[in-house]
Amino acid sequence: MAAVHGDAHGHEHDDHHPSGIMRWITTTNHKDIGTMYLWFSFAMFLVGGTLAMGIRAELYQPGIQILEPELFNQFTTLHGLIMVFGAIMPAFVGFANWQVPMMIGAPDMAFARMNNWSFWLLPVAATLLVGSFFVPGGAAAGGWTFYPPLSTQGGLGVDLMIFSVHILGASSIMGSINIITTILNMRAPGMTMMKMPLFVWTWLITAYLLVLVMPVLAGVVTMLLTDRHFGTSFFNAAGGGDPVMFQHIFWFFGHPEVYIMILPSFGIVSEVIPTFSRKPLFGYSSMVYATASIAILSCVVWAHHMFTAGMPTVGQLFFMYATMLIAVPTGVKVFNWTATMWRGSMSFETPMLFSIGFIFLFVIGGFSGVICAIVPIDIQVQDTYYVIAHFHYVLVSGSLFALFAGAYYWIPKWTGRMYNETLGKWHFWLSMFFFNMTFFVQHFLGLAGMPRRIPDYNLQFADFNMISSLGAFGFGLTQLLFLYIMINCIRSGDKAPQKPWDGATTLEWTHLPTPAPYHSFEKPPIVK
Amino acid sequence: MSNSPADKNHVSVWQIAKAVLSAFMGIRKKSDLEHDAATLKPAHVIIGGIIGGLLFVIGVFSVVKLVIN
Repeated sequence: MAAVHGDAHGHEHDDHHPSGIMRWITTTNHKDIGTMYLWFSFAMFLVGGTLAMGIRAELYQPGIQILEPELFNQFTTLHGLIMVFGAIMPAFVGFANWQVPMMIGAPDMAFARMNNWSFWLLPVAATLLVGSFFVPGGAAAGGWTFYPPLSTQGGLGVDLMIFSVHILGASSIMGSINIITTILNMRAPGMTMMKMPLFVWTWLITAYLLVLVMPVLAGVVTMLLTDRHFGTSFFNAAGGGDPVMFQHIFWFFGHPEVYIMILPSFGIVSEVIPTFSRKPLFGYSSMVYATASIAILSCVVWAHHMFTAGMPTVGQLFFMYATMLIAVPTGVKVFNWTATMWRGSMSFETPMLFSIGFIFLFVIGGFSGVICAIVPIDIQVQDTYYVIAHFHYVLVSGSLFALFAGAYYWIPKWTGRMYNETLGKWHFWLSMFFFNMTFFVQHFLGLAGMPRRIPDYNLQFADFNMISSLGAFGFGLTQLLFLYIMINCIRSGDKAPQKPWDGATTLEWTHLPTPAPYHSFEKPPIVK
Repeated sequence: MSNSPADKNHVSVWQIAKAVLSAFMGIRKKSDLEHDAATLKPAHVIIGGIIGGLLFVIGVFSVVKLVIN
């Protein structure tokens, strides 16, 4: 470790870097790369969001109005893929790039050049994915889970999607290796594992999960590719293969993926809530334990996505019990956040509002998850809007709200300027209102039997769909307000003091000026 | 990070098992926790966690078998 710090210290006069576009193409600085990750993910969020607007516009009333069924299916497929792989995951990696080195007192990420490469693979993958709309036959249309036989039958768009997923996977694996190495080897003297901020802990565990499951995804899409073009029959029953095997392999990746997208949110919320409650996090060690337990459990529950695919009773019960047990460590976390706020000197700036909104709505998503885990209920609600409502409560009001909380919380440190608090609160309350308007009613639609991935529906579903679509348009427009708030903050926000949040205790607030200098912690801080 | 020779002597399989099991429960005495943090290496906990995970799977599976029968 001493060698690493010594080396970085030796470059302290090496502050001249290329300007203009070359700065961003050649940069190895964790802050530059973090910024690029965040802007990239926001751009992809807008692309995925535009697809969502298309979906909701078509579903505004029964009948086919705007999108032909084939194009509608492409929209739903690409909306899912872009939001998962292009928006949420890179956004968390962006946060890790900015925050992990500063929070553990390291000068940069361990593999700075690999860091540059793992970012620059992303625009390539995104181009393949978005470009697939314009190839003959259009984009992949078999859903974001690309189950065969639909995915073995699609056109060139499916191949582009497969290559895109390969590249995104490679980028994620490199990013994870970088994060693990940085955390394990580059902590400042005195920063023992159990003193690390919880955001760092959650990312360490997430990175291990990523290294575990991304190769599985790469494997399954490669099998799909060889089935499509090289005469294999992994998933083709006519050739002796099994399409259900795809589902098993996909969900062995897919369920830990869900936790990959939520564990770093837990980390962000666990930083924000103690700060604005002006109390240390309640039960720090149990939070670490719960995160690790969730990660382990997430690897043994995958087949709860497949109850209707056919499974022995033993399998159904095993996956049902294991899934329900995940509620225990998750409950520990919710209890700890609530106990942290209990009798704290709370204040309700925008990051805190988004964190509290996160807890409130994520619990709803968690409960509907437990409901879906019960086999007889799942068989009723499988592939209905109930499932859509469930996972949007987890991924939008879970992951996305935590990302907003983190962005508002750390933007003063990143830019040296404060965001507009009034507009931030408007952003929160409008998001809260329109999010629930969009997705709460989808529970009712699902229970009434409306299937997912259809462009047209029975008249009985008309009213709730209209409410949901109006909410979605409102939610989409509200996110443009977030863009305005951030640009306004970067260009002309008030100057931020070194520590605008008086309850903040992590190294980036206590040991670094605001804005954080281009090279920070060239000399490691001593942590007591 | 703490790898002084004196610390290494205190790690036993039982200590790892206790740390992992209490992690599954989410409850640990503070003094024990500090001792774990000072003596256990990440590899200990990761291997212990994987074994604990396997035991957990076997446990749930046994319960399922019991229910079915």
